[in-house]
Amino acid sequence: MFEIWRDEEGTIMLAGKLDASQAEKARAFLETVTESCTLDFKDLIYISSAGLGILVGVQRRLGETGHALKITNLNNHIRELFKIAGFDFIFDIE
Amino acid sequence: MEKKLKREISELDEIFNLIDDFFARQKLNDSGVFAVKLAIEELFTNLVRHNKGGGEHILFNLDVSNKTIVMSLTDFDVEPFDITRADPVDVSAPLAERTPGGLGLHLVKSYVDDLNYEYIDRTMRITAIKRLEEKDV
Repeated sequence: MFEIWRDEEGTIMLAGKLDASQAEKARAFLETVTESCTLDFKDLIYISSAGLGILVGVQRRLGETGHALKITNLNNHIRELFKIAGFDFIFDIE
Repeated sequence: MEKKLKREISELDEIFNLIDDFFARQKLNDSGVFAVKLAIEELFTNLVRHNKGGGEHILFNLDVSNKTIVMSLTDFDVEPFDITRADPVDVSAPLAERTPGGLGLHLVKSYVDDLNYEYIDRTMRITAIKRLEEKDV
């Protein structure tokens, strides 16, 4: 189960498990993002390389126009995963 | 635990349920669940997407003994491809130089203690070994 939506303040909320079977759902939503914004991982319990690849693609595309993603509320497992993947260098993580 | 999986990415839900049930049945602390799920997802999706040939099913085995989890995926009637020899990924590369591919196997190698590849008579078996910490048992 994976859900992604934008809350009333413009923050993009992700919830559940972003695995390879859900990657297209995340990709389709994030393709609509054209400006800097925050992704809130408060309710995201799992992510694999399929989801990480999508985030890199969005970050690179936004960077071409001077925008960027910020990621907040990572659980300990996902925070460790970001470090192992070297994502702490390419994302603003809070 | 042994389970025949269809050669489809949609099997991931079933895989995750099997892993959750296994940890509960073995009374293991679920702090190791994330690593096992991640390793199996990356290996399984790699087989589904990249193995040439292949039967309808991939066999998934998951066992624990002596505080060590042994997980394996067996793919039948496929061409050889040793994933343990895949090129390393530069995780310190800047954003512009990041390329798709390879990251999943880098994660697997980071999360497990040992990764073995066997190929005999067109049957490929990938075995990953994860030693549990005291807090996980």
